[in-house]
Formats: sequence, C-alpha cells, structure tokens
Amino acid sequence: MKKTLCFSILLLLLSTLLAACNSGGEQSANADGKVEIDFFHRWPNEPRKSFYDEKIKEYMEQNPDVHINVDYVLNDAYKEKVRVLVSSDELPDIFTAWSDSFAENLVSSERIMPLNEVIQEDEEWSSKIIDSQFGGFTFDDTTYGIPFTVDGKAFFYNKAAFEENNIEIPKTYDELIEALDKLQSAGYEQPLVEGLTNTWAISHYLGTIFERVVDPAVLEKDYNSETAEFTDPGYVQGLEMFNELTSYMGEVSTAIDHEAARNMFAAGEVPILYMQFAEIKMVEEAGDVEFGFFDFPEVEGAKGDPTALTGAPEGWMVSKNAPEETIDFLKFLTSEETAADFTKTDGQLNAIEGAVTEENVNPASLEAYELITNASSTAPWFDNAVNINVADVFMRGGQSLATGQTTPEDILKEAQQEAENQK
Amino acid sequence: MIARRNRMIPALFILPSLLFLGIFIYIPLVQNFYNSFFDFSVFSPTKEYVGFSAFQQLLGDKVVMTALINNVKYAIISVIFQVAFALILATILEDKLFRRIAPMLRVIYFIPVMISISVIALLFNFIYNPQMGLLNSFLELVGLGNLAVPWLGNATTSIYAVIAMSQWQSIGFITMLFIVAIQKIPKELYEAANIDGAGKIRQFFSITIPQVKEALFVNMLITITGSMLVFNEPYILTNGGPGTSSMTLSVYMYQQGFFKDNMGYGSAVATLIFVVTAIFALIQIKVSGTGKDE
Amino acid sequence: MTKTTENIKSDVLTQDQKRTKERSAKSVKASRKTSLSTKVSKNMILLGLLLFAFVILYPLFWMVVSSLKSYDEIYNNVWGLPSVWHFENYATAWSMGISGYFINSLWVTLATIFLVVIIGSMAAFTLSRYKSRWIDVALIFTIGGIMMNPQVALIPLFEMLTWMDLINTHWALILTYVAYRLPLTIILIRAFFLSIPRELEESAIIDGCSEFGIYARIYLPLSVPIIVTTIVLTAYFAWNEFMFATVFIDSDMLKTIPSGLMNFRDALRTDWGVLLAGMVIATIPMVVLLIFLQRYLVRGLSEGSVKG
Repeated sequence: MKKTLCFSILLLLLSTLLAACNSGGEQSANADGKVEIDFFHRWPNEPRKSFYDEKIKEYMEQNPDVHINVDYVLNDAYKEKVRVLVSSDELPDIFTAWSDSFAENLVSSERIMPLNEVIQEDEEWSSKIIDSQFGGFTFDDTTYGIPFTVDGKAFFYNKAAFEENNIEIPKTYDELIEALDKLQSAGYEQPLVEGLTNTWAISHYLGTIFERVVDPAVLEKDYNSETAEFTDPGYVQGLEMFNELTSYMGEVSTAIDHEAARNMFAAGEVPILYMQFAEIKMVEEAGDVEFGFFDFPEVEGAKGDPTALTGAPEGWMVSKNAPEETIDFLKFLTSEETAADFTKTDGQLNAIEGAVTEENVNPASLEAYELITNASSTAPWFDNAVNINVADVFMRGGQSLATGQTTPEDILKEAQQEAENQK
Repeated sequence: MIARRNRMIPALFILPSLLFLGIFIYIPLVQNFYNSFFDFSVFSPTKEYVGFSAFQQLLGDKVVMTALINNVKYAIISVIFQVAFALILATILEDKLFRRIAPMLRVIYFIPVMISISVIALLFNFIYNPQMGLLNSFLELVGLGNLAVPWLGNATTSIYAVIAMSQWQSIGFITMLFIVAIQKIPKELYEAANIDGAGKIRQFFSITIPQVKEALFVNMLITITGSMLVFNEPYILTNGGPGTSSMTLSVYMYQQGFFKDNMGYGSAVATLIFVVTAIFALIQIKVSGTGKDE
Repeated sequence: MTKTTENIKSDVLTQDQKRTKERSAKSVKASRKTSLSTKVSKNMILLGLLLFAFVILYPLFWMVVSSLKSYDEIYNNVWGLPSVWHFENYATAWSMGISGYFINSLWVTLATIFLVVIIGSMAAFTLSRYKSRWIDVALIFTIGGIMMNPQVALIPLFEMLTWMDLINTHWALILTYVAYRLPLTIILIRAFFLSIPRELEESAIIDGCSEFGIYARIYLPLSVPIIVTTIVLTAYFAWNEFMFATVFIDSDMLKTIPSGLMNFRDALRTDWGVLLAGMVIATIPMVVLLIFLQRYLVRGLSEGSVKG
C-alpha cells in the first residue's frame, strides 16, 4: 500500500517530465476543428504589435473557421530564430522576411513556397504591389516573398539650421564635409550624430559608403560569401570616410543608441542624422524641428554607384507546408486597406499602390515615398547582404574606429581573414 | 521482500536527482568538449570534424586575449573591493560600537544582491548615460564636470564601468559572508585582546584575519571564479563594445555560438572558460574540504 | 558574477540568533570607557557607513522616483521630484507586457521550487540514511555538480533542448534551473536530515511505517525550516536568472521578467517612466522576500551551513 504510494509519486514526477516533452507541440494543438495558421513577426513593440493583434482579430471574425496563432520576437532574435526554424519542420506558416541575401538564405532551405502562381492567379491583388519591390524576393525568376514595407536611408537635416547658415544641400561628399565644418563653426558641437552602440547603424553607414566608392561588380563578388575577398582599396577609403564622419559625432556617439541620436535630432540639438524613412513619424512625435532629407551624396572620382538608394523592402514569406488558407491571409495582410491602415498607424511606408496617400501620411513621407519608388537602384542593408561574421568585423571595427582603437587597414585585414574562414 | 524494498527505495529516491544532474549538468559538459572539435551551426544538422583547429584559432584570436585580460581585471578589482573592502566593512558592522545601526545597514547593503541583474544593468544604463546620467550630472554638480565622459562608450572606461556596477551589486553579498564568519569567532579572543590593550586595528590583523582565514580564501575564490565567468553585466551594458573593449570570455562564447553561428568555436571558448574555472574550483574543493568537520 | 558566488548565499544572514544571545553579554562591556579619539573616529566611520548606504540606496530611490516621471522630466530634471506624479506608468507597464512576464516568472519559479524541493529532499533522504560505496559515489556526483557552471553548458544545453523540442518552452528553464539548484539543495537538506535523531525513525519502523512513510511523515515535517530556506534560495535564483532565460526563450509571450525587461526596453522606445516602473515591479517580490523571510533563512541555515 505504502509502496504503491511511493511509486505513484515517482510516476507523477516522471509524467511531469514526459508532459514537459510534449508541451512544445501543445501550443499549436487544434481546439475545435479550425484551420490553424502560425503567424510569426518581429514586432513585439508598439504600435505594430497592437496593429497586427487587431488585424488578426479582424481576420478571424471574418473567417470564423480559421484560427491564427501569433508569435513575435525582436530583430536579432528574430533573425536567429527564423534561421533555426527554417532548418526544421517547424517553420511558421507565414512570417516576415528581409529581402536579398537574408531571403536567399531562407529560400535555399527549400522550405519556402514559390509564389509565382499565386501572383498570376490573382492579378487584382498582385498588380497593386509595386513591381520594383519584388526584386529582393525573386531568385532565378521565382518569387518567394510578397514585399510589404519599403524603406530607404537618407540624411535628415534641420531646415532651419541649414538656412541660418546658408548651407546648400550637399551634392558631393566633399560638400557634405564642408557643410559639417560650417555647422560646427556655427556652434553645433556635433553637426552630425549617430547611436554607435547599435552596430546595425554602423552597418547602414558602411553599406552606403561602400556602395558609393566600390565598383558594383566588386561589391557583388564580395557580398557573395563564396567569392568574397574584400581586397579592393575602396574599402579602406570607405572606412576612412566613415572615420572622418565619426569625428563630427562627438564623444557621446559611442555611448548612445540610435534612439537617443534621433531624439537629439528631433530636439534640434544636432542638425544632421542618417535615418530611415520609417523613422519620419517618430521624429515628428519626438520634437518639432522642420526637416528635409537628402541621399548620401556622390563621392567624386569613386567607382561606385553614385545614386543607389540604400534600403530594402521587407515582406511576407509562406512555408511550403502552410494550409491553403494562409494565402488568403497573406492577401489580407497585403491588401490596400490593411496597408493604408498600417502606414497610418505606424508611419512606415508600404509597397501597395494606392495605400500611401496624402490622407495617411504627411508631405515628408510622401516625398520619401517618391524617392524610394523612383530610385534607379537599391542597395540592401549591409548586415543582411554579407556573411554575419564579416559584417561583425566591420561593425565592431566601426565602433573601434570611432573610439580610435584601430585603423581602416586593420579592419580590412581582419575582414579578409574572416571572409577566407567562411569559404 | 523487505530486503528488496530496502534496496529499491533508496535508489528510486535518488534516481530523479541523478537523472537531472546527469542530463543537464554532466552530459552537457562532456558534450561541450566533444563539440570543440567540430564545426557546426545551429541550423546545420551535421557536424564537421575539424580536430584541434578551433583551439589553434583560439590561441591566435586577439579578441580572446582582450577578453581574458578583461576577466583578469574583473577578478583583481573584485578581489580588492568585494573581498578586502567587504572584510573591513563586515568587521566594522560587527563591532559593538555600531551594533544599533548594523542590522539595518546589513539589509541595505544586501538589497542590490536580491535585485535581478537586468534591472540593475538597465538602471546603470541610466546612471552612465552621457546625456542625462546620474554620474555625469553628479560630477557636474560638484564641479568636476571635466571628468565626465561617456563611460560605456569610451573604449578605455567601458570595462571599468561594467566592473564598477558589479562591485556595487555584490559587495553586500560578500560582506554578509564575512559577517557570518566573524560571528563564529570566539568573543573571548577579543576580550583578551582588549585587556591586553590592543587597538582595533591590531585586533583586526591579529585576530579577525587569522580567524576568518578560511572564509577569506573561499570568498576570494568565489569572487575570482565569478569574475572568470561573468556574462550578464557586460552582455547587457555594452555587449562587449565599443569594439571589443569590454568583451569577456562568456560574452564572446555567446556571440560566437548564437550570434555568429560558430557553435564549434563557441564551444572551444567555453572549454577555455571551463579549464580556467576548474583550476580555481579544484583549489576551492581542497580548501573547503579540509575546513569542514563533516 | 552571481552564479557561483550564489552557492554560498546560503551562509547569508546566518547566526543572527547567536548574536542576540551574545548581545546582552556584549552590552555590559560596551559601556567601558570610550576615549575622545575613538569617539571621533567612530563618527567618521559612521559617516562612511551611512555614505555607503546612501550610494547603495540612492540609485534605487532614483529608480522609484523616476518611474513616476514623464520622459521629459527624467531627461531634463534628473534630480528633482516629479512635478506631476505619473502613477499611471505602473498601470501602463503592467498592461504593456510586464504582467505577462510576471506571470511567466511566477510559474517558472513555482514549478522550479516544487521540483527542487521534492526531488532534492528525496535524494537527501537517501544520501543521509544509507551508507554504501554507491551512496558515496552518488554523493560526490551531487556535490561535484556545484562546481559546474551554466556558461560552459550553454551551447550543449541549447542543442539538447532543441533536440528534445523543449526550446522556447518554460520547461527549458524549469528543468535546467532544477538541475542547477539540486546540488546545493541536496547538500543543505542532507545536512539537516543527518541531524534528525535516528530513534525517531526506529520507532516509526516499529509502528509499521515504510521508507516512504518515514520520509513523508517524519523527515519532511521536521525539516520545514530548511525547506523554507531552500524555497527562498531557489526563488531568488529562478526569479533573477538571466542567461538561460535569454537564450532558451525567444517568444515574447513566454519570457520571464529578467529577459522580458530587455524586450520591454526595446519595445518602449523612450517611455522611460514606464520602463522604470516595470523595473520596480520586477524588483518588489525579491525585496519583500529579503525583508520578510530573512528570519527563515537565518534559522534554517544556522544548522546546515556549507562552504562552496
């Protein structure tokens, strides 16, 4: 009798352990015969979290036979998580993805659903998505993602500060330096700032600079980890330019994040900041400076593309194993109505025609929107474009450069070494 | 029947513990050694055998050197503050002169120990903030504004800023351990010294220190081992930056394994951590083993 | 640096009782002559002690005060009191995610405590009541566990939990927490069990109690103090653990407070007041634990204090 009691306790313990082993699958267990769609995005932050929560609710009300399980993790964790998931059979049915090499990596898992047929079947929906934005999701003529948000990076400047000091919008890099000097002598201790604790902010700078100074053919070769060498002298020049720019950012820049930098800009303390168009609304909410923007200027005599806009779309991908209802949900997520609501709530521009209008965005965003949709070519974010180990060398190197701990040559040497290791 | 029961039950009672320890503590340890000889990432199903190449890479890796030096700095500073200073603090708190206020102070000094490291680190982010941070505002307030620097953003100060936070959090803990040790010292020793006319400082050196020698040694080892393992503080405050100036071995291991997906190399760094700490742990076992009569 | 050091946390606050006993004896001697110079140096030292207390307390005080401010005031009025007391920061923090993290932490902590106490006390029972070569080996195996640190096991544990399909579930935390808490728990409880007189169990055996009966009816009820101690130590560990919580849990909905706060910070952008309110909420349970359960710690540990 007592013995049974004792064993039952042990059994209880063991069953706890066994239950533990099963709990992973339990979350997606089907409650009452509904179709389940696992939806994974990367915005645990507001306002997007609530936006998607509400859209999901709306969709489930319209489609009572579908249940959507949502999950979300932030940026870096998202990257890691998706990479893990894509190598297993647990890939969510629909999830957000960056374009270009990030997307390409996912596609190489062969678990992503090709969407060509879906796009062709429903022209009414697909024709509204801006054509040029599909590029980053298309590999070998097969499209694996539906672009949703569009973005670009540009220098935001304080219009008042430029007018007071008679500064023209710089057309070349040298003019930019001149403008920075002028602003500095006009009393701005830091005419330019960046939150260098965010290494992605460094990668955005470097990506654009390399785009300007390095031959596009060389870049293409180096961005492919099979052929990467990073021996072009343009990289040293680029790192030197970055170093020069950080000399205007003041000591503070290595200790703050991009957020703080944006607040400084919005408060009028700093007249120039390199930002994403997605941030327009945040700047307006954080302060009341009147601002305009200009693309990273051309570098005279350099071999790079003088006008390529850095910034890539983000979109949705669907798992090969997703239930067919997922496509309908995808269309719902990328419908004109959802897109218009999205941009109105969040401020970030979207790739759906007719969903960015004077009604839901301000003039500044509209101007940015035209810039993006008319850009001759776009360059992907550097940290998405190259192997993460190599990107890390450049990003940490950028920090060390700003604190005077290293030289462009050393960084490049390290990058070459790392590129070699990755082959 | 009875005999069998007597043999079975103790085994069944201890089995769950052994399973837990085996599966989650010992197997991973062995697994880590094994992993050090392979090249793999989270999402690659196969591991490629690379022999000792990860260890070779380890020897030539400048970041590992930086990290190791930072860990050593961490250890030295922690020994000075958490061990030396805490011992003095504990002695003072146990002195009868302060017995009214001591219980309250003990609790106050102990509060940071109870607080989650993420809260502490977020709080120190505010303290070190170059724009509105408490530290810099304080320096300006007392007229030392020229000493204000962006503590976490400066390659020469970042690691010290991280270490300082650790001291703030952990002094109370080690102090408490010393208090426990001091309370075990027979009071007659001090009374005899008082009669002999020995001053407080003499008593400290000739009674307190010899009497808490064992605790002193153990606390020192705990502090050093902890310094060699430190992860949370630099990870949250600086993530090893700017550059790699505040990198520690554990943060580097994490970054290699989970951020850059070099799980094999990360394991090699973990092996290095293990070797370094195992040496201290062995000393610790030896010392504490002889001290206890159990 | 808390992990290993924390093993010894057990010793903390020990022997308060002895102290009180000695106090009466002490106070007689305290009235002995105190010269002027010792009075001066006493005050100097007292000042130092208070200053140090201030250095410890002020940042925490600042955290609480600033949690009631708006962003502008935190930024521009670092030292002052809030002009408007934003108590709603707490409600916002709670509803914007802290409540979820809080409940997750609560569940993980409670489950860890439950398993640690049951499994640990059972093992301690065997280890204290039986003697054989195997028991000795098991004891060394257990004590050795205290020397292992989670940093070294991080990558293999991640692999293993992924393989078990437990990654990104609360079990990933509960099981590993239990494993890393067991060695110290077993050592503590075993030391206590050893002190329980054998006669008690002999009479129990005569009464017809089984082994399990002896464990459940005699040993466990007698060991309440040490079990409360174990609970407090485990609660402290599980509530504050950061590294596993960060690496093993990705999903925001499953995060515990320490790792959730990091997400919370990123999600809030500049709502510093709300962030600070979240930090205060995360801190309260542990400070309450310190203030109210200090006595339990002391009572339980005075018997079974261990080194390293």
